This record gives sequence, structure tokens and C-alpha cells, in this order.
Amino acid sequence: MLGQGATQDLIEEVREAEGLDEPIYVQYGDYIGGLLRGDLGYSWRSERDVAAMVVERIPATIELAVAATAIAILIAVPLGVISATRRDTPYDYGATLFSLLGISTPNFWLGLMLVLLFGVWYGIPYPTIDVGSGLWIRVEFVDLPTGRREVGLGGAVLTLFRSGSFGDLWLWIKQITLPAVTLGTYFTALITRLTRSGMIDESGKPYVTATRAKGLPGVLVQYKHVLRNTMIPIITVLGLQMGTLMGGAVITETVFNWPGLGLRLISALGVRDWPLMQGIIIFIAVMFVVINIVVDALYTYLDPQVSLE
Amino acid sequence: MISDRVRSNLKRTFRESLLPKLGVTLLTVIVFVALFAPVLATHDPTRTGNFHENGGPYPPPGFDYTTTVSQDGEITEVTVTSTEKHLLGTNTVGQDVYSRALYGARVSLLVSLFGVSLALLLGVPFGLVAGYYGGRIDDGLMRLADIMLAFPALVLALALIGVFGSQPVRVPDPIVAAGLADGMPESIPIPGSVTVVVALVTWVWFARVARGEALSIRNEEYVKAARSFGTADWRILLKHVLPNSFTPIIVLATIQMAIIILIEASLAYLGFSGTTLSWGYEIETGQDVLRTRPWIAMVPGIGIVLAIVSVNLIGDWLRDALDPNIEGSERGA
Amino acid sequence: MPDKESTDRRTFLQYGGTAAATVASVSLAGCGNGEGNGDGEGDGDGDPAESAAEVTITLSQFPDTIDPLDHITGDYFDVFDHIYEPIFDFRPGEGIFPRVVEGQEVQGDGTTDLQLRDDVVFHNGDDLTAEDVAWTINRTLDPDFGVQSPIGTFGLGSIEGAEAVDDLTVTVEYGAAPGLAEFEYGNYGRAMNREWSIDNHDAENSAISGSSPDDFNGTGPYEVVDFTSGEEIVLERFDDYWGEAPPFQTVTFRANTESSGRAAALEAGETDLTINVLPEDVATIQDASGVEIRNVTSFRTIFCPMKNTVEPYDSPEFRRAINHAVDNEGIVEDVLSGFGRAVGQPVAPAINGYNPDVEPYEQDVGTAESLVEESGYGGVDITLTAPQGRYLNDAQVAQTAADQIDQLSNVNCEANIVEFPVVSDENSAGVEPENITHPFYMIGWGTITGDADYGVQGFFTVPDNPSRTFDDEELSDAILESQQIQDPDERTQQLQEVMEIAHEKAPWLFLHVQESIYGVNEAIQWEPRPDEVVYVEEMDR
Repeated sequence: MLGQGATQDLIEEVREAEGLDEPIYVQYGDYIGGLLRGDLGYSWRSERDVAAMVVERIPATIELAVAATAIAILIAVPLGVISATRRDTPYDYGATLFSLLGISTPNFWLGLMLVLLFGVWYGIPYPTIDVGSGLWIRVEFVDLPTGRREVGLGGAVLTLFRSGSFGDLWLWIKQITLPAVTLGTYFTALITRLTRSGMIDESGKPYVTATRAKGLPGVLVQYKHVLRNTMIPIITVLGLQMGTLMGGAVITETVFNWPGLGLRLISALGVRDWPLMQGIIIFIAVMFVVINIVVDALYTYLDPQVSLE
Repeated sequence: MISDRVRSNLKRTFRESLLPKLGVTLLTVIVFVALFAPVLATHDPTRTGNFHENGGPYPPPGFDYTTTVSQDGEITEVTVTSTEKHLLGTNTVGQDVYSRALYGARVSLLVSLFGVSLALLLGVPFGLVAGYYGGRIDDGLMRLADIMLAFPALVLALALIGVFGSQPVRVPDPIVAAGLADGMPESIPIPGSVTVVVALVTWVWFARVARGEALSIRNEEYVKAARSFGTADWRILLKHVLPNSFTPIIVLATIQMAIIILIEASLAYLGFSGTTLSWGYEIETGQDVLRTRPWIAMVPGIGIVLAIVSVNLIGDWLRDALDPNIEGSERGA
Repeated sequence: MPDKESTDRRTFLQYGGTAAATVASVSLAGCGNGEGNGDGEGDGDGDPAESAAEVTITLSQFPDTIDPLDHITGDYFDVFDHIYEPIFDFRPGEGIFPRVVEGQEVQGDGTTDLQLRDDVVFHNGDDLTAEDVAWTINRTLDPDFGVQSPIGTFGLGSIEGAEAVDDLTVTVEYGAAPGLAEFEYGNYGRAMNREWSIDNHDAENSAISGSSPDDFNGTGPYEVVDFTSGEEIVLERFDDYWGEAPPFQTVTFRANTESSGRAAALEAGETDLTINVLPEDVATIQDASGVEIRNVTSFRTIFCPMKNTVEPYDSPEFRRAINHAVDNEGIVEDVLSGFGRAVGQPVAPAINGYNPDVEPYEQDVGTAESLVEESGYGGVDITLTAPQGRYLNDAQVAQTAADQIDQLSNVNCEANIVEFPVVSDENSAGVEPENITHPFYMIGWGTITGDADYGVQGFFTVPDNPSRTFDDEELSDAILESQQIQDPDERTQQLQEVMEIAHEKAPWLFLHVQESIYGVNEAIQWEPRPDEVVYVEEMDR
């Protein structure tokens, strides 16, 4: 914080100004007191208010997390259903292999490989593919999708309403797709697995056999009852996996330079900016308590047999 | 410890399905590679400077490329071709990619092995005691567990690394010491603080499982009987409670191993492991040159995926066969 | 946090050279900017005439503050110098030239009078006064000043104070030869608004802070219209600017720490100019249409200080051994693809005081090993701490150097790769052993004044310099002596002497001078400067 030529006096003065001359427990008390008022202190490096630095990065992370979850559910549930209803067919094997690889691939590597792959067709205006020397297909990555967020969803929607232009929304979709797929792949794989095994378990239960015997069409039973009951454990697991989602977001944001909370955490850590790092981690912790309460509530709502103790 | 029923279950599921066989084969290969890396490697993985005479790292076969060099400010284009000496090419500092991938397996397995062992040593005794005695220790443990399990493992690991710093530890190589692999490093650095940190973020899973087992066993007749004979508590814990917890703990350890491999790779990728001989770090160095030297990031990633797939397959097999009914598959990254 | 890091910050409004080209190139520009869909407003199909007036520049670091004298980081000055005007213009190798200052008069008693222009106004409408300029200089010198600038005494080493004599005259007081002092206040002098700074000063946080566009207030040719901290800053022409109107209506600065991301943005047409292109990306950018590479050998040397107050670096034999262990010519050729030049002294060849007779250390493992034995530190373990993404392939250079040292039979060396501010902190931590965390670390220094004094005094002088990296009376005295020599030729000779002493004493592991590599939209006319400064005023479409 102090530079070249900081004199002893100056150091003392700053220590005093920042309360660093107080005993540790007093400093800690001050910090906790500040926390309760929503004051997370100041960043050592940028000298800005930590709370503001946290808040401004929330939208990008939420957009990414929600988009990833949405992609995961949209792909995984149908995939799991297909896999369960056509057991031991190539579809099933394909889905099983996909989910095995999906839960085993670190998303920073996945992100890079997706960039490598889709850098090709992302540059639709001028892709020049030239099957050059040897095995390697030489590709000019004219429009490499860096995943940089230039416009938020809120701003893009506002533009749409104000000027009727889809430009920003399209830009947003283009920019979030790759990061969201990267972050969402693990969850897609996980939900595919859960849906498959859940449906298989449920199908074997007495009520299913009974309703079938009553002459209800099999398909209807499958989708109406079985899938609904399968969703309960899936939502529970998704709730439990929020931590994974956040951890994944930290990595994904780093890979794609996505300006969310995770990227800020990593850079704070890299430059040893403790107040900022602490502020972000405390924020994540509080967020987690809230999310867990929400998931519990959702769980009770979906499954009336469970009540909150 | 392992009953006959469990054993036959294991055998049956292994015979019936292809996936466990694949998992065991893969893991065997990876362990073999990790053990004999100094013998299998073609170059010292830490030696830099293996560059093509035209400049730039060697590509693997099929990845020949053109690049530019500057001579007194004049930029000229040159072609760089592959060589048999470097099967998978070299990286941005001219280290052999193939040899580094082999040593990467070693680092990855060492960290996960030490990490899981440390987590076991921390978590199991704590869980057993808490479950056996109940009361305040138990309440405290469960509260702590709830907090830790809800929290993103990677974020927690990052915070701990922030506190501890990233201190590497040198591990001597017995194969080189025995003179079986000339020219290979006598010791390799493994990320010491990362090993401790992964144990600190995962031990609570083990504590929870051990506690559950202890809780269910403490009211069993034979435990009660042992207690009435005046057998010391620690003896009961050791002789009766611990063996019964064995199965779920083994399954959990497998699952956690995959998670630890991933956390180690992630921390190394983010540059917080304090060492550079790691699959994760290698991917990081490949990222900046992804467009022009893609193999540098590709090769180590394949290593990570294979390692995690193999451990996951074995974990699935054990879980299906033993049905221990446990949680703990949160992977955190 | 002052990175003692530097590149610089003075403009020269060389309109003479570039303005002539303006008319011819405007018509071209409309076509060049067809795909700028990243403007965040609407669909991006701007009116061609309007897009001709825009330029987007991508840096690697983004200012996180509104105070131009809060950091000494080249990237920050690239942005700030368009908003907060330097009081002098600097031309690499030529000297400094008045800007908001009309002229200066050396008084001969260790002071110089600066005469300000009378037509300079701030973006908020205030007139620039002598009070403002004196205040801006004083805040970097005096810790008790209230709104202290943390860039400290490094850049203004010999300046002792400044005082407003009347509305437009500032007297600057200094302890060194006038020629040297001129470099210093010419280097860090800025036109800041005293009242505004005090109003925006956040005492609790000891910084001038703010986050909205209106919080910026300089006299420069551009004012801020949009500011997203850490991401983007948009500037527009300031209508009441005293000088000639700058060439673009709108200037956007962005930052990306990933060099591949910067290169991709350039190729995608999202930016017109990006700094610090990797040698690996040069071929791709050259092959892409509409963009090209421009490079120049910079004033920046890359080196690894060894703090000689701790073991084993207290031994000159050991430090020389390290220099003999490393093949810096090979590193330039292989790791930098030739985009650099090996050196064996603190400054670059183009700098006044560079000694052409001092060659780089030659790699010689045998000599190195016997020097280590002589030093008595045989078998020692050392770590080289180096940043990532700050200099050309910095982490790779460090890993290679560390490995070459490790190949000595009697030294084990490992590289420790960290974020840049970690080494920057070490660089200002001084030589007290208890303050040293990384005694052997990599850093770069741009001798932007073009004079070797700026390249050595902050590192090697002992008196009043707590942040020196080397403790040696002989070297320090040689530098101090040079500062008092009035005759330019004699001073150059003394500086060359300093270079020779530095080479012998090996306070650093000497590495290389790097080339600056820029990726530029072909439609932009601009020549890169050796001091790494990027000024929009020197560009044209």
C-alpha cells in the first residue's frame, strides 16, 4: 500500500488510520461490527469499497450459473428419460458414456477444448478451413469466442424494449453460450445419471405396476408420475450441488475472463488482497445459507410428505 | 472386515459389467505409469530448452506449424516440424510433453493418496468418537459438517491456500536413487500445502460417515455386552465399531480421490499450487498458446480425464456392489 | 500500490508529423470498422462517418482508481494521460518539451521557474493555476500532505518541493543537476485540480476515489463519458481543450490479462490496437486480414534482482555464478522467438549511459560451478519468483533461467510463478532482511527518460532510499557522483562507468531488453514508441 520511500512516520500514520495499531481482537471486533452493517472494508489494491466490488460482479455470476443450470436441465432430463426407457440400447450406452465423461472432465480443460473446437464455426463470417499437412486440420480462428461479457442480460433486454433491436440480446447469447455449456456439462451429466436411475427405480415401484394394470397408457404413467417423483431427488441433489456450481463458476469465469465474482476472487487471491478475498468468501457463505433455506422450502413444496422439522 | 457376501457381490458385479473392468484396467495402467515414470519417460521432465532449430517448441506429428521470429527487429516466417525425439512435442519452455504427462500422473496420484489418507486420519477417529459418545462433541461435529458441506469445496480450498500459502515439498525418487533411471530428477516437488488443504476440505465427509456407523452400532447388543464386561471404550471403537465402518469408508475414499485429483488440478491451473510439474499447471501454460500450440493443453487434460474416469468407474462399481448408501459425491470444481 | 514498474506517460503532440495524414485516411476508415458489434448499444451498425471517429484500445491491466498518480503502471498512464494532462511532453531520446507549461527558466540556485499557459481549463470548468501544479508535485513528496500520492519519492528522487509564485508561475526546488531534475518533474508532473482532489479525497481510505464518469477531472484532450470499473472506460473529445483537437471523437480503453484474448479481440475487429502480443501470436495476426503487427525495441530491461543482504546473494561470486549459469542469448532466441536482445548491464542500448563495451555474461557452467564453490554456498537451494503475464513470456523466461541454474551441479533452483503485484511489492520492500520474502525475483524496468540514471538510481543508491534492492556503497557513490556532474558528456562517461561496476558486482541476473509487440488495425496510422506509451494523439485512421 505504501510505496517506495515510505518513511517510518508515514507507515505509523497509515497503521493508525487503518486501525492496524489496535490489538488484534479490537480489529477483529471492528471488522465483525462492520460486517453486520454490510461494511466489508476496503480493498488493499484498488482502495475501493469491497461491498461495492462484490455487488457489481454478482449479475455476471448469476447469469452464468442460471444459464448453465438451464442448459443442464433442458438437455439432461430428456437424455435421462431416453436412456431409462431404452435401456441397453446404443442410446443408453451413449448417454451413459456421456455422463461418465461429463462428471470426469475438469471444466477448465473442457472450456479450452470447446474454444478450440468451436472457434471454427463461431467465426461464420470468414472461416477458412484448409486441410493442411498431416492429420491436423489447419483452421484460422477468425472469430475466437473469448466469452468476454460485454453486455449483461438486463442491458440487452432493455435495448430490446427501447429500440426493438435484438443485437445486444444476440451478442449476449453468443457470449454466454460457451461458458454456460462449460459450466453446465458436469450438471448435465449428473442429472442425466440421476434421471436415468431415478426413472428405473420408480418404474419398478408397486404404484406404477398398479396404475399400469388399471389400463393407464404406459407413456402417460412414465411421464406424469414417474418423472415427477424422479424430480424430487434431482432437485435435492441440485440444491446440494450449489457448492459445486459456485466452485465451477470460479474456474469457468477464469477460463473465459468472465467478469463475475469468481474471477474477482481469483485475482484478489493472486495479488494477496485479503480484505477483498475475505469479503467475497463471506458473501458466498451467506449466499449459501440462503440458497439452502430456499432449496429446503422447495423440497417441502414438491414433496408434501416432508415437513421442515 | 470384508464379509464373504460383500466379496461375492463385488465379484459378481465385476463379472457382469464392462465398466468396472475398464476402470480397474485404466487405474492399473495409470498407477503403473506413475510408479515407473522415471523409466518410461524419455526426457527429464524439468529440463527446458528442447526447441526446434528454427525457433519454437516441437509439435507432435501432424501438428507442424509456421511461426515468426524476429532478427534485429525484422520479422520472418519459419516452419517448425515434429521430431521422433519428442513423441508429443515440447511445451512453451521446451520441456518434453510426454515425459511431463507421465510425471503429472505421479504428482496427481501422490497428492490424492496423501490427501485421502490425511482426511481419513482426521475424519474417522473424530467421527467415531462423536457418534459413539454423542452429546456436545456430536452436536458440534454435525454443525461443522453442515457448514462445510454446504460450502463450495474449491472456494474453501482457495481460502485455505490464501492463508497457508503454497509450499512445495520435495519427494525423493527411489527408482532414480536405485540407479535404474539415469538422467531423471532425483526428487520431484509435490504441492505440500495443497495436499493438506484438500484433506482439510474433505475430512468432514469421512467424519460424517464414521459417525453414522458408530451411532448405529453403539446400541447393538454385542457392543452393550462388551461395555458391561468393562472393555475400554477405545477398544470397543477399535475392535467393533471401526471394522463395521470399513465398507462405506472405502467407497467414500474412492469418490473423494476423484474429487481431490480435480481440486489439485484446478488449484494448479489457477496457479496456486506452488509447483509447475502438474497436469493442471501444464494446461494453464497451454492456454495462452491454445490457438497456435494446442497440444500443450490437450495432452495433460486427457491425463486428468482418464485418471478421474478410472477412479469414478471403480467408485461406481464399489457403490453398486456394497450399497453403502452414502453421500459425498460433491466434487467442488 | 506503486509498482516501481514503469513505462510512461508523456505525450508529445507531434501533430506536425501525423496531422498531415488525417485528411487522406478518414475516408478509408469507414470500411475498416464494419464489424464493431461490441459497442453495447444497438446492433452496432454505426454510421460510417461516426465510426471513423472512434478507436478502441485493449491493454493488459485496467486502472481501478481515478487518481492518475496512484500507481506507476504503464497501462494506467496510457489511459490517464488522455484525461489528466502531463505538464511536459516527452520524446524518447530527444528530451522533454513544454505542454501546459509555456516555458521554463533555470534559476541556477537549485530551482527552476515553470511558466504555465493561461488557457488551460479542467473538464469541470475550473482554470488551471500554479497552485494546482505545485500541489500535484508536493503531494508526491510529502507524507504529511493530506492527499498524499503513494508513487513516492522514486520518480521524483531529487525534487524537494514546488511553490506557486503567482497564478501561472511555479518554482520547483531540487537537489540534483537541473538536467536530471527536469527529467523527473517532466516525468511525473501532472495537471490535477487541487480543489477537486481534496473534495474527492476519502480520508478513511487515504485515496482519491470515485466510480462515476463525472468523478474524473483533468485538463486533457479527452473527458470520461462512461466508466465500468475493471472493464471499460470511454472517452470523448473535450470541447474546451486548449490545444489542437485530438484525432478521434471517441476513445475506448479495455483490458484483458490473457494475451490470447487480446489477439482474438483484435482479429475479431472488437479492438483497433492491442499491446503485448505474444511472439506465438504474431504469425496468426499477420495472417489475419485487416490487422498487422508493429514492433519496436523498447527501453525496458528484464532482470532478476538478488538482494545482497541475505544469503546466499551476499556473495559476489555467487551472484556472478548465477549470471554465468544462464544463457540469456539463448533465452531471447528460443523463448522470445528473437523478440529481444540480451544485455549484461542495467539499461538498454538506446539509453544515454549504456556502455557498449560491456557484453552480456557468457553461459559457462564450469566457471559458474567453481564460482559457487568459491562463494562457499555449494549445495544451496534457491527460488526464483517471477510474474506471469506482465512481460513478454515472463513465466517461461523465469522457468528456463531457473532450470539452467538448477543444472549447475552445486545449486538447486526452482521457479515460483506468482501474480505481478507480488514481485512488485518485493521490489519496493527494501533490503532489510526481515522485510524480504523473495530475495531473487524477476522484474522489468523501462528507463523511459532515456537516461541511465532513471534505470539505476532507484535500485542502487543507498542514502534516503529505503526501497533499494542492493546495498553497495561503491555502486551507490558512483551513481550519486554522476548526478552532480553538469557537463553532459562527462556525465555520460560516468554513467558508463556505473554500468561497468554494475556488471562486475552483478546485483541482478541480467537478462534482456524486450521488444514491444503491438497488434494494430491496418487502417490506424501509428508508430510504436520505445517507451511503450500509447497516445491516441499520435494516431490517425
